[in-house]
Amino acid sequence: MATPDDRRYTDQHEWALVQGTDGTSTVVRVGITDHAQDALGDIVFVQLPAVGDEVAPGTPVGEVESTKSVSDIYAPVAGVVAAVNDALTDAPETINADPYGAGWLIDISVPGEGGDPIGGLLDADAYQAVVDGS
Amino acid sequence: MSPLTSPLHDRHVAAGAKLADFSGWSMPIEYAGGGVLAEHTAVRTAVGLFDVSHLGTATVRGPGAAAFVGSCLTNDLSRIGPGQAQYTLCCLPDGDPQAGGVVDDLIVYLHGPDDVLLVPNAANAADVLARLADAAPSGVTVTDRHAEVAVLALQGPRALQVLELLGLPGELSYMSFVTGTGGSGAEVTVCRTGYTGEHGYELLVAAEHAGELWDAVLEAGQDQGIRLCGLGARDTLRTEMGYPLHGHELSRDITPNQARSGWAVGWQKPAFWGREALLAEKEAGPARLLWGLRADGRGIPRPGMPVLDGEGTRVGEVTSGTFSPTLRTGIALALVDATAAVTAGTTLAVDVRGRSQAVEVVKPPFVESHVR
Repeated sequence: MATPDDRRYTDQHEWALVQGTDGTSTVVRVGITDHAQDALGDIVFVQLPAVGDEVAPGTPVGEVESTKSVSDIYAPVAGVVAAVNDALTDAPETINADPYGAGWLIDISVPGEGGDPIGGLLDADAYQAVVDGS
Repeated sequence: MSPLTSPLHDRHVAAGAKLADFSGWSMPIEYAGGGVLAEHTAVRTAVGLFDVSHLGTATVRGPGAAAFVGSCLTNDLSRIGPGQAQYTLCCLPDGDPQAGGVVDDLIVYLHGPDDVLLVPNAANAADVLARLADAAPSGVTVTDRHAEVAVLALQGPRALQVLELLGLPGELSYMSFVTGTGGSGAEVTVCRTGYTGEHGYELLVAAEHAGELWDAVLEAGQDQGIRLCGLGARDTLRTEMGYPLHGHELSRDITPNQARSGWAVGWQKPAFWGREALLAEKEAGPARLLWGLRADGRGIPRPGMPVLDGEGTRVGEVTSGTFSPTLRTGIALALVDATAAVTAGTTLAVDVRGRSQAVEVVKPPFVESHVR
């Protein structure tokens, strides 16, 4: 699967996509990459933070667990959890099937309008280089 | 050191297998278009084909070969006749500081009193063979056949139909084997055994004929819903059955008494490696015992995680743990201290990365066995 160039990435194999603004802040959607879901294998449980939780880079905010192993989810940006993908509770395999779409994990509301909260993350080419180098 | 590969390696690569190292062998964990869940389900409901050529193979031949093997390994070979196979253990001998600990668990194929085939685990094959070779009386020869023999596992309720379509013999009682020819004309040893809990077979074939047998089995299985299965599914399948895996439930530190594998020990035999130590432990009662744990929640126990009692005191350790595709919950095997006095139905907890996951103690298997 190609790495979409409409969003940014972390070297922890998460993606971040600006969804828009809710008037006072920028909403960033977060998921795991196709490379990450493929490495994990069949995903069977997902644990996500609660709406309203404050999150920041470097601190795990949840877990994605497969038959084989478990992987922490990290917030690519600092903010407040605005939404979680509840559909994953009953259908965690959605992450395997559609990691860049229906398999999204959380929306993070980043305070402040304008600016580019994900501008400092990796672009698609840089992320692909991380994958190719691993 | 480059990893060893099965004679079927090129076929695995062509089938999009994810490969991983198993004791120095590069083997499929799962296949493209499959995955552990789909492969597991195929074995429970239809049929799956595994390459388990990383398993060792060795012959012990010469006058009294079977009697010699029986005097070393734990199980009682006199209970079976030629054409039957037996699960047995190679334990550390009395006098060793870890006497009674398990060097390996293996299958013995009894061809005759002077001809035995051993199938040990990849990681331990060299150790088992060296110990046997050292102890062998003159005239009895231990020969490593690992590179010469490929081992395929055909497992699931439709495995018999696949063999019949191939013209291979399949109407065998559990743990019996015959040698036949099928499809390609190559000689194949078919044994009613496996590691999945389903009706199944392991097929031993000369390495140079492994590819044609693999292709023939896949073709015959097309209408039976056959799926290529990797060692990931093999592990979830065996864990659901509570079957021990050496290095987890059995090891040099874990005796057959502790792992509930005493059924594979010929206690009446006058001699086998570790006999005195194992008898003494059996008499005294083992200090810990293997139990199944079934999670009541979303945490999945993994190997090495602490098992806790109601007060939060550590009473054991998870040896294997995974998601059960059949039960849709976490399951585990764990060694639990005898002093904890648990029994089936007791509630314990597993420390899953700092969270307490409640588990019910169960006596495996976790799902019904269909091997017989």
